[in-house]
Amino acid sequence: MARRSEMKMRRLIIPGLVLVAAGAAAAAVYVLRLDHLVVRQFEGRRWTLPAQVYAAPLELYDGLALSESDVERELQRLAYRRVDAQGSGGPVRTGTYRRVGSRIDVGLRATRFADEARPAEQLSITVSDGAITSLRDGTGREEPIVRLDPLLIGDIFPIHGEDRIIVTPDEVPPLLPAALKAVEDRNFDTNRGIDILGILRALWVDIRAGQWEQGGSTITQQLVRSYFLSPRRTASRKIREAIMAVSLAEHFSKADLMNAYINEIHLGQDGNRAIHGFGLASEFYFGKPLSELDLDEIATLVAIVRGPSYYDPRRHPDRVLKRRNRVLDEMAEQRVISEDEARIAEAQPLGVKSKTAGAYYPAYLDLVRRTLRRDYREQDLTEAGLKVFTNLDPRVQADAERILDRELARLDRVLAKRPHHPKGAPLEGAVVVTAPQSGDVIAVVGGRDAGFDGFNRALDGRRQIGSLVKPFVYLTAIESGRYNDTSIVMDAPVEVKLSNGQLWRPRNFTRENYGPVPLVRALAESLNDATVNLGLDVGLDAIVRTLQRFGLEEAPPRNPSLLLGAIDLTPLQVAQLYGGLANGGFRTTLRAVRAVVSADGKPLKAFPVEVQPVAKADAIYQVDSMLEQVIERGTARSARAVLPRGLVVAGKTGTASDMRDSWFAGFSGSDLAVVWVGYDDDRVTGLDGATGALTVWSHLMADVSTTSWTAPVPDDLQEITIDYPTGMRAEASCSSDLVTLPVPPGTNPPVKPGCPAMLPLGAAAAGAAPSTGAAGSVGGVASSVGAALQRAGKWLQGLVH
Amino acid sequence: MRRALAAAAVLLATSCQSLIGPPYQPPPQQPAERPAAPPAQPSQQARAGKAAQPPPPAPPQPVPPPPQPSRQFHLGAAASALVQQASREAASGNPQLAQSTLERALRIEPANPLLWIMLGQAHESEGQYELAGSMGRKAVQLAAGDPRAQASAWRLIGDSLRARGRNEEANEAYSRADMLAAQ
Repeated sequence: MARRSEMKMRRLIIPGLVLVAAGAAAAAVYVLRLDHLVVRQFEGRRWTLPAQVYAAPLELYDGLALSESDVERELQRLAYRRVDAQGSGGPVRTGTYRRVGSRIDVGLRATRFADEARPAEQLSITVSDGAITSLRDGTGREEPIVRLDPLLIGDIFPIHGEDRIIVTPDEVPPLLPAALKAVEDRNFDTNRGIDILGILRALWVDIRAGQWEQGGSTITQQLVRSYFLSPRRTASRKIREAIMAVSLAEHFSKADLMNAYINEIHLGQDGNRAIHGFGLASEFYFGKPLSELDLDEIATLVAIVRGPSYYDPRRHPDRVLKRRNRVLDEMAEQRVISEDEARIAEAQPLGVKSKTAGAYYPAYLDLVRRTLRRDYREQDLTEAGLKVFTNLDPRVQADAERILDRELARLDRVLAKRPHHPKGAPLEGAVVVTAPQSGDVIAVVGGRDAGFDGFNRALDGRRQIGSLVKPFVYLTAIESGRYNDTSIVMDAPVEVKLSNGQLWRPRNFTRENYGPVPLVRALAESLNDATVNLGLDVGLDAIVRTLQRFGLEEAPPRNPSLLLGAIDLTPLQVAQLYGGLANGGFRTTLRAVRAVVSADGKPLKAFPVEVQPVAKADAIYQVDSMLEQVIERGTARSARAVLPRGLVVAGKTGTASDMRDSWFAGFSGSDLAVVWVGYDDDRVTGLDGATGALTVWSHLMADVSTTSWTAPVPDDLQEITIDYPTGMRAEASCSSDLVTLPVPPGTNPPVKPGCPAMLPLGAAAAGAAPSTGAAGSVGGVASSVGAALQRAGKWLQGLVH
Repeated sequence: MRRALAAAAVLLATSCQSLIGPPYQPPPQQPAERPAAPPAQPSQQARAGKAAQPPPPAPPQPVPPPPQPSRQFHLGAAASALVQQASREAASGNPQLAQSTLERALRIEPANPLLWIMLGQAHESEGQYELAGSMGRKAVQLAAGDPRAQASAWRLIGDSLRARGRNEEANEAYSRADMLAAQ
């Protein structure tokens, strides 16, 4: 009996022992496997670094027209903080500035440009009469030119992906790890990855509170969780996490773990973009580098760690403020800071910048992303830590966004009052601004809600361009050698038999015809019938070739309606086409990106300025002179009320598809802007180019403080004065509407009836009052420099340059 | 390659010297690139920069065709400093950097033919002959009234044509340059 039971026991014990041994072995294997996994992953861990995208840096130099407050605004845009001018002698802290009279001292941050890295340095800017008069470095040495930091405008992060800015330990303010230890893991320096006492303490707090309040996870455990594990809270996961934490603590130094934690942890969400690490969180919430954060700001970030969505400082500021102050109390309690320091910091407001205040330009970033995708794999962009330097001008971008939204709101109100105006979604619009000489794209607005990363009308909104095509019809005519600005074209009803046998009968916008008119008037007043007559004479093929020379990639349908702009283009494509007009007949490659630099500062790719002659200077000059008349006396003359007095600009209105699309494309000396206004659902707006897009355009041109359009008169042209309505030679005694235009030598239009028969040729038609023409005459300049200064425009500019 | 770079450096350096021409007198005020806020009269202000040099006297009698007023292009202090930096960068064997520095200058004075000539020379020395020639043509257009600058631009065009084996056109460009230089 006993023996039997003994046998039975033995039969149980042995398998039991075997089982236990097997279990132990399995556990050991499991632990070893986890250990191996965690070590390999930690060591091999390279944070994926989204490409960072920067705006063009502001170049400061002697004579640049910037007032003190302009300089201050630019510094604040870059999150430089103003400090007291007390003790105005010594250096200013990096990331701050002070104003001492007309001098502004700046502690410039270390920064990287497309072409070089610059260490932190002192800069003193002196301003007088609204212009910079001196730039001095820390030693008092005069500097001819200094760049401010390029503004970080965004990252190219993977869809649903993590975004972060990596910081090295020396960029981390010492208070941050101290605060993290005080709040998240008191025994971080001594524990071995897990903290039994901490867990028990947390458990005790939870039991007393009756709910889950304290996590009790060490920093190492949190790191493991963020690295390897899904957020499920199961017992088995807890065990896995603990084993891996112990492993990590065993193999790596506390400093490495803290650094990893600071760069790893999730601290917020911005749509699809997950904000990881304190480096990015600092920029995301405070708009400045981590190294410049003050105690209260550090405490705010530490407060967010516990629950980035529950403690979202933008959505729940009160909740976060309360927790931030608890963090500060905790820090004081553990003698990380003094009671006084805590009290002062607790009195500070949260100071989190609003999301919209940040530099977030999704439409421009979209263009940058598309440019880079031609040369880089998606993975390179989202993981390799590239630095991308762009041509975005944040000041122009901000102006364009603000003006588009404001003008569309105004137009919505105007349209709402019109009887029978169909109801529906509000007006939309898009703006593209470039620097025509270099092809730099300096601003892109993809819609009214510029901060919304949605449909990008500037790049994807293909709309009929209407009369925007006309300058290319006229250019082709002039290039044929059979026409000049004063040539007569018939503005009479026209019928065209289309290839499908139908008759096409275009009509003028005004439903009136004006008979024989000079080219300048036909273009300035956008006469459809005159243009169709001209275009048919010149030939569709030649016009298509002109468009393609200027950068149109697709071949438009060779249909007579092309003469009136029956072709769908995006605002960006229009900007490409008009670039050649604005740039003296040179086509430039539009460039959003200037250069790409690797994470360690090696130049990878540059996008140089490229120009290519596409039209002769004299033909372009004649077309541009007519486009100037569009604004002086044509369809866009209403712009003069908005534009600064004397600013010479040129452009063209476009109204398409029965007032569904309202366009304006035009340029000054330094800026080319294309504006589209319309409804997304293609309803009729009831706006033409002038009442819609032009108002946005002219306010924008007025606000960005641009320079006059100017070009030297080509050697093979001379200026003559004609009667604008008829195109005949005239003078002030016999015409009330004179215009001076550049034409090839030998051009000799008939003299207007009633004018003296022996009018001299040339611009100096005696007595032509300079006040009646946009381009002044030589006599006018000599007699009345003051009036001529305002009126003489480009010719005078050429003279005094 | 090394020789080409050295040649580029010399070209740049000499062109800078000959084009800027010591002693250099910066105009009192540069054309504004882009003030953050509009000054009271932006265009007038921008013009003030250009009008800083006294305007040449108007021709006593209006005679058509209007003679192209003669003038001489200069670089402002900022652009001039950048050009010097670019020539140092080219001399130390970094033509890419020199190009990007010249482009910085070009953003400040986009209508200055001297900068287009220099940038064109930089591209020429890198073997981008067609682009160099285009920049020369752009400079010719901008330099109307300044025969010295136009002569340099035509020389650049000549170089770019010769490099592409278009010798006849190149010689034509060189003789235009010589004619202009003699003015």
